Amino acid sequence: MAQHDVEITISQTGEVRVHVKGVKGKGCLEYSKWLARIVGRVKDEQLTSEYYEPETKARIDLKQDLNIEE
Amino acid sequence: MSAVVILTPIVISSWPAITAAVAGAAAGLGLMVKETVEEAVQEVEVEVGQSVEVELANSEVLAENLATGKEIVLTKADLQIRVGRDERGRCTVCASGKGRSKTELKQIADDFAQKMTQCFVYNRVMSEVKSRNFQVVNEEVMEDESVRIHVRRWVD
Repeated sequence: MAQHDVEITISQTGEVRVHVKGVKGKGCLEYSKWLARIVGRVKDEQLTSEYYEPETKARIDLKQDLNIEE
Repeated sequence: MSAVVILTPIVISSWPAITAAVAGAAAGLGLMVKETVEEAVQEVEVEVGQSVEVELANSEVLAENLATGKEIVLTKADLQIRVGRDERGRCTVCASGKGRSKTELKQIADDFAQKMTQCFVYNRVMSEVKSRNFQVVNEEVMEDESVRIHVRRWVD
C-alpha cells in the first residue's frame, strides 16, 4: 500500500496551499483537482520531481474515489 | 514532494453554511452573535454612528429559503457587524460603530470578511476530508493565523 499525504494550509485570507506528498506521476494532480473543486480555482501550480516519476495504477482509483470529472 | 498548488477560494453556498462560517469567525474575533436583527435592536443599545460595507470577493449566497433582507448581527461593545446578502446575491459585511473612522471600520469589515472566508474554507475542507475517509494526522494554527491540516490516506 502507498501512503499519500496532503498538507492543506488555509491562510488568513482563505487562500489555500495544497502540498501533495508521496504520490508518483500525475496522480498527485487528482488531489489538487479534488480540492480545487471544493475550494475555488487554481491560482498557481508547481510540479516537483516526483510528478515525473512513473505513474502507478492508483490514479484511476483516485479519480473514482474522489469523484473527479474530466 | 509531488506538487504544490495554490487555490483561490470561492464562497458559493447556502445561507446555513454561511451562518456557520460567520459563527466561527465571530468566535475567533470575540464577537457575540445575535439571532435576528430585531434581537440586536432590542437587546443591544449600540449607537451606530458611521458604517462601512464591504463585499466578499468571489461570493454568492444561494437564495433558497432566504428571506430578503435577512442578516446576522454581531456585536462587541460599541461595534456592530452585519453579514447579509445583497440584491445581486453577493455576501456583504457591514461594520458600524460610534466614534470610529471610516478607515477603521473598513479595516474591521475586511478583517471579518477574511476570517469568515477562512472559516468557510476550513468547514468545507474538513467536511470533504472526513467524507472521503482521510485520516487527520495533525491540525494546527500557525503564528500568522493560518490553519495547517495534514491528512493521510492509504492506497492499494
